[in-house]
Amino acid sequence: MKKILNAPQDYVDEMLDGMCTAHPEFYAQPERRVIARSGGATQGKVGIVTGGGSGHLPIFTGYVGKGLLDAAAIGDVFASPSAEQMAGAMRHANGGAGILRLYGNYGGDVMNFDMAGETVELEDDIESTTVLLADDVVSAPPEEAEKRRGVAGMVYAFKTAGAKAEEMADLANVTRIAQKTADACRSIGMALTPCTVPQAGKPTFTLGEDEMEMGMGIHGEPGIWRDKLKPADAITGEMIERLLADMPLSSGDRVSILVNSLGATPDEELYIMYRHAKMQLEAAGASIVMPLVGRYATSMEMTGATITLCKLDDELEALLKAPADCAFWRV
Amino acid sequence: MTGISRAHLQIALERLAAAGASAHDELNAQDGKLGDGDLGITVARGWREAADGATELPDDVGMAFLACSKAFQRVSSSSFGTLIATGLMSAAKACKGRSDIPFSESSALLEGAIEAMLKRGKGALGDKTVIDMLEEIRLATAGKADPQEILTATDAAATKALERFRDQPSKLGRARMFGEKSIGLDDPGMLALRRMIDGLTGKMES
Repeated sequence: MKKILNAPQDYVDEMLDGMCTAHPEFYAQPERRVIARSGGATQGKVGIVTGGGSGHLPIFTGYVGKGLLDAAAIGDVFASPSAEQMAGAMRHANGGAGILRLYGNYGGDVMNFDMAGETVELEDDIESTTVLLADDVVSAPPEEAEKRRGVAGMVYAFKTAGAKAEEMADLANVTRIAQKTADACRSIGMALTPCTVPQAGKPTFTLGEDEMEMGMGIHGEPGIWRDKLKPADAITGEMIERLLADMPLSSGDRVSILVNSLGATPDEELYIMYRHAKMQLEAAGASIVMPLVGRYATSMEMTGATITLCKLDDELEALLKAPADCAFWRV
Repeated sequence: MTGISRAHLQIALERLAAAGASAHDELNAQDGKLGDGDLGITVARGWREAADGATELPDDVGMAFLACSKAFQRVSSSSFGTLIATGLMSAAKACKGRSDIPFSESSALLEGAIEAMLKRGKGALGDKTVIDMLEEIRLATAGKADPQEILTATDAAATKALERFRDQPSKLGRARMFGEKSIGLDDPGMLALRRMIDGLTGKMES
């Protein structure tokens, strides 16, 4: 393992310390493993809370900020935070108008977040709702879409629900927007090299020097095929085709596209992918609104990329373009 | 006092923590046959954490159950720990605002816990899990109001559940992967509950 760290068990806490001290205008850590807006909860506003394992920056904690999230509970690398930490995040996001729990569909996270919701309802009378992102099309067939894992589509849901909450919409409306966005997102990933969880010390998977894996999940979950590395246009072409097979687009449709690095893949390569994706989407008759290219949902030093499409209507487009501010993203 | 109160919970927690500690190695070994071998740690740590907070339990039995649930949430994020926390949370909701819960409600409290645990674990009765034993106990304690009778019935029901499921395959969780191999083995979760009941029976005054 070749990583810049002190001790593996301090990896997450020292990372959070550094993030909060580098950007005190955005982030505070009011209790261990809970990142909240440095100004605290906004009275009268619906709070939006997320959570999950570390190792995905800017997801999850990075997107705490105005027009985005109010708080995030964060676990060890690739491990769920505890229900207690999630309850803590909900309390720190509570402005008295209810809480939306918005996160990715992973078993441990769901169990713990549901329990956290029950705890704060009993103890603090906080009303809350849940919207799960399940956008990874490879992780289950369409007829079992509710079993899919949540990946980079989360970024869109954070953005639109965050903007809606900032308009002081009520909990039902913020929840509706989050669900509508979750339903409009489809993602797919591919990987070239693995990452290493500090406390495990070994790579999450192995791939041959000249190989790639199409459809691989962000924690190294198995994909669709593994073969010799293909040219960028062929890789991008297949990814877009698989997304469109799951969510067909027709002439006049508007989509936002996120070409996301899993960590080590540079922006240069993402732009090579974007160039081809754009041609392909326009050939299908769709027009692109607010393309996002860069590191939004990573897997530490994994080499690879994900592509997310988010189909927009007027309402979602306006919310996507509304102001937002955090250390990683300004709109 | 005519029913379950804070004082009862305090006594019970000490006994459960003692039972958890003494069953630690046995449960780890049993779990190691079908799972990752940490069940003894989960059970011992969870009840110890809950018992350590026993002196600060509120009079509100619901909030006291909640404190126990949170103890499990804090120290154990394993699936068994989460299930116990879920069951305790269900009891917390049912008892909120009351400082004295009639013993005759025991079966109904179990019913609520079973329902919540099945939902959270995405399981069903008959999967050969701790929930099957709870269901056996629920049936055996229905209509009973005397605490000693309830404990006796609970003890017998636990034995019955172990025997009934011993020769069936596990259908949920990691044990499911062992399929036929799980036949003839007691489910580790059921065994854990058996040991908790051992800790409670015969000693708990009403």
